[in-house]
Amino acid sequence: MLYDVALTAYIVATAAALGYLLRRRDGLSRLSILMTQLGWVCHTVALVMRGVELGRPPIVTLPEVVSVVIWVAVLLELWAEWQYQVKVLGAFVLPVILMLGLALPTGLRALVTEPSIRSAWIWVHVVLALLGLAALVLNFAGAVMYLLQERQLKVKRPGRVYYRLPSLETLDRFTFRTLTLGFPFLTAGLLLGILWANAAWGSVFAFDPVAFLSVAMWVVYAATLSGRALGAWRGRRAAYFAIVGFCTLLLTLGVGVLIQGRHGS
Amino acid sequence: MGALFVAGLSHHTAPVEVREQLALEGDKVREILVDLAGAGVLAEGMILATCNRVEVCGVAEVPGEATRAIFTRLGGQRGFDLEAIEPLLYTKTEDEAVLHVFRVAASLDSMILGEPQILGQVKDAFALAQSAGTVGPVLHALMSQAFGVAKKVRTETEVGRLAVSVSFAAVELARKIFGSLEGKAVLLVGAGEMSELAARHLIDQGAHPVYVANRTWSRAQDLARTFAGIAVRFEDFVDTMGLVDIVITSTAAPEPLVRVAAVRQALHARRERPLFFIDIGVPRNVEAGVNGVGNAFCYDIDDLRSVVEANLRERQREAHRALAIVEREVGRFAARLAELEVVPTIVSLREKLEAIRRGELDRALGRLPAADEETRRVMEALSQAIVNKVLHTPTVKLRDSSRAGHGARFVELVSEIFGLSGPGRRHDREEPGQ
Repeated sequence: MLYDVALTAYIVATAAALGYLLRRRDGLSRLSILMTQLGWVCHTVALVMRGVELGRPPIVTLPEVVSVVIWVAVLLELWAEWQYQVKVLGAFVLPVILMLGLALPTGLRALVTEPSIRSAWIWVHVVLALLGLAALVLNFAGAVMYLLQERQLKVKRPGRVYYRLPSLETLDRFTFRTLTLGFPFLTAGLLLGILWANAAWGSVFAFDPVAFLSVAMWVVYAATLSGRALGAWRGRRAAYFAIVGFCTLLLTLGVGVLIQGRHGS
Repeated sequence: MGALFVAGLSHHTAPVEVREQLALEGDKVREILVDLAGAGVLAEGMILATCNRVEVCGVAEVPGEATRAIFTRLGGQRGFDLEAIEPLLYTKTEDEAVLHVFRVAASLDSMILGEPQILGQVKDAFALAQSAGTVGPVLHALMSQAFGVAKKVRTETEVGRLAVSVSFAAVELARKIFGSLEGKAVLLVGAGEMSELAARHLIDQGAHPVYVANRTWSRAQDLARTFAGIAVRFEDFVDTMGLVDIVITSTAAPEPLVRVAAVRQALHARRERPLFFIDIGVPRNVEAGVNGVGNAFCYDIDDLRSVVEANLRERQREAHRALAIVEREVGRFAARLAELEVVPTIVSLREKLEAIRRGELDRALGRLPAADEETRRVMEALSQAIVNKVLHTPTVKLRDSSRAGHGARFVELVSEIFGLSGPGRRHDREEPGQ
């Protein structure tokens, strides 16, 4: 019930944010932020209640994980919008979040019940990975904004979006910042998962496509980061990599929800 | 109370030959204002005379009559008959007049939408009228709100922010690429009015250092001196591209000077940080393919012009937003004006009761020479409390009545009952210079 309220609030917030991008009404921007905040509060309460009901943190099944990724991403979005004073950020972040949110009901399956999984380490693994994933949602939105603005500047026909979007420099910094924020969490989360899986099952990738894809995703983001640090992977190239990385992220989550494996059902 | 009105002609209705003739100098305008106020035609008034509009704004019993009198005087200075001017005139009263004044002050009625000069001109015209003594409470309230509206429009919309000149458009693009221009290096190749202006704007935004290259070495040195920059040999300018963020080219070279290969090299040298070319040369100095190179952006003169056109369209869209702000403010002014009607009555009522209180208190204390400090304080407080309680309801009722639109009746009634002398009309009868 509260999930539905939160989801509805996110939908309204997304519509308002997109509306603001196209026709600059300050009321729409305010409505969007207000609905995002409202949705987030409802979401928080819903998560807590679910946790109490289950008697454990609601981050075991993949749908639960996605829900918490959304929760953190929304929080980050509110923070970034305030921090970077980019009023149109919501128009790019919220649709992504919403897409994840609407995909939620597709895979509400049974929980992971193996006794071996009830270890404290597993929670640390999940929470770290979640924080990383949420930052990467923003990273993706920043990359999309960068490519849009770059395109506008290249074709030299400024449209409405051109006037609303911040400078390339700001977007490039935003993309980089969210990557540096998310990557350490992702790395630590994956590392813990690998160590733990080694201890529990003796093998890391044994029959688990999610673990395999996670590492692939990590490689893409690691390449982006080192490309930037060592060479000249900035601007458009960095944006393309952010998008490829996010696609593997989506694939990972999708596979996790749909296919049998140690992460999923 | 007379009616608030605006009358005049502008670039919408009158040709420039008429406008420029009627835009008189300040002394003449002041003289006309003083005369008409003295003759009782205008209760309050100010005249805005710029090259794009000549308008009168004020309060008069019969706005039409006042308008004719004013434009007869204005036209008379330059040998225009009223008949010649009258077809060009528009007259607006009450809310429409308020809307018009707000739109003018916010530069939403300007020839170039959002141009910044008009607000200063309106402020000057208001100051002139103040010095002539023809500003009363209505104009005062109207103009102070108009200045507020103009500021609001300026800060809350982009109607005055987007560049409408080619050189400013170049700066704006640079900001869309680099964000802040603080510490961004510029290379100026060749010389010319527009390119130097663009360089000047970039420097104003914090760009530095400036490298200057010119086929004539002495010219390069001269220009470098004016920009406090560094002169570069013309043969070396391609190498300098690796050091800078923005390149402005403006030479008469028949062949492109900046080739794709050189740009790739420069980008490599600067680790793919963006490079922005502003090509003002005709024929173009930068090869067409440069814009296709990743992280390089090249705008020639035609591109800059089309950006200016897009900016003008965006200003138009922003003007719609601004109009919504202005319309809200018109409603607020109506409420303020209505209060203005009852405020003098409230003030004189308060003054009257205060005088009574003072008098009676002094008399009573005179009869109590032995009263100590404590007693005096209590009596002071007692009298104050009674007056405040008595005043409360009439004050509230007067304000309510003004908001409901029948303030005049209440003003009449209260003045009659309390024997107030001519309140509520004071500003109508105010003498100039008072």
